[in-house]
Amino acid sequence: MTEAAGVEAWKEQTTAFDRIQSVATAVSQPQSASHIAGEAHVAENTARDHLKRLVELNVLLEREQDGTTLYGPDPLHTRVQMIRELLHQHDRDSLIELKQSLQSQIEDWQSQYAVESPTELRDRAAETDTAAQTRDIRQTASDWELISYRLSIVEDAIENYNTYSEDAPVSA
Amino acid sequence: MMGGPSDGYDSAAASHRALHSIKQELRRHPIVVETRGFPAGEFVEVVADLAIERWGVDSHNATLTVRWFAGETEDARPEFSFHYSDTERDLGWHHHEQEHVDGWGHFQKRTSTEEYSYEAYTFPSKNPARLVWDVMARLSSEVE
Repeated sequence: MTEAAGVEAWKEQTTAFDRIQSVATAVSQPQSASHIAGEAHVAENTARDHLKRLVELNVLLEREQDGTTLYGPDPLHTRVQMIRELLHQHDRDSLIELKQSLQSQIEDWQSQYAVESPTELRDRAAETDTAAQTRDIRQTASDWELISYRLSIVEDAIENYNTYSEDAPVSA
Repeated sequence: MMGGPSDGYDSAAASHRALHSIKQELRRHPIVVETRGFPAGEFVEVVADLAIERWGVDSHNATLTVRWFAGETEDARPEFSFHYSDTERDLGWHHHEQEHVDGWGHFQKRTSTEEYSYEAYTFPSKNPARLVWDVMARLSSEVE
């Protein structure tokens, strides 16, 4: 009953295209049109049309596997979208401050756990005494990966600031 | 077209996409007032401020905090939580390793200052966008 209520609310507030885009750009591995249609509560034929459109728009990538077309997010599109979001929110100085803050967080973890990477930290999870400690370490390793990825996006935004910024001069 | 979608799995990129999608779906929900990546600038979780008075519930500081980690490998189970709190309640739907109930999926609710009660919960999907709407419907039933 509650599951149906959630789906109904989703349908009321979004279009079929919105739902297909949201579901397809969030999959962690490429999926078939049938799978995406089921998750998005959209008829399969409609889903196929929307997925093709999203491929044309370079939001998704498609490929064939065992005779089935699979769809997944285009990592380049996602990355550019994140850079654009950062440039909306920050000027160059503020991006540099953000970069320093992310670097400091990573250095703190390196120093606190005496490891160089999230992978090394995950290995530490095998040596803990309690389930709570294991969970904490695994969660920190996940946060570390996310922040490293975020740092790479911030560095891209700084490097290309003059080209991508809204304040960049428009060429004649 | 080739060189397709799964040539190199990147758990951090997949997790970020999931968080981005969660933030977008929360923005579309009628009781969500504001969403933000948290901590500011880091974006390891999504925080949404909720106007639960629109459900006829009288409470303050209603917030949903969502974490999502897509898994170390493409086939790994995602680890995530949708956790709600206001001045009177503290509860959430989580999916990660824990020692309280069988399996990963569970619902937890604070019963006293220091303790939670736990019950097993099976999520209807592992897609972050869809789960936002499922959790919000469950939250509505839980707080009303």
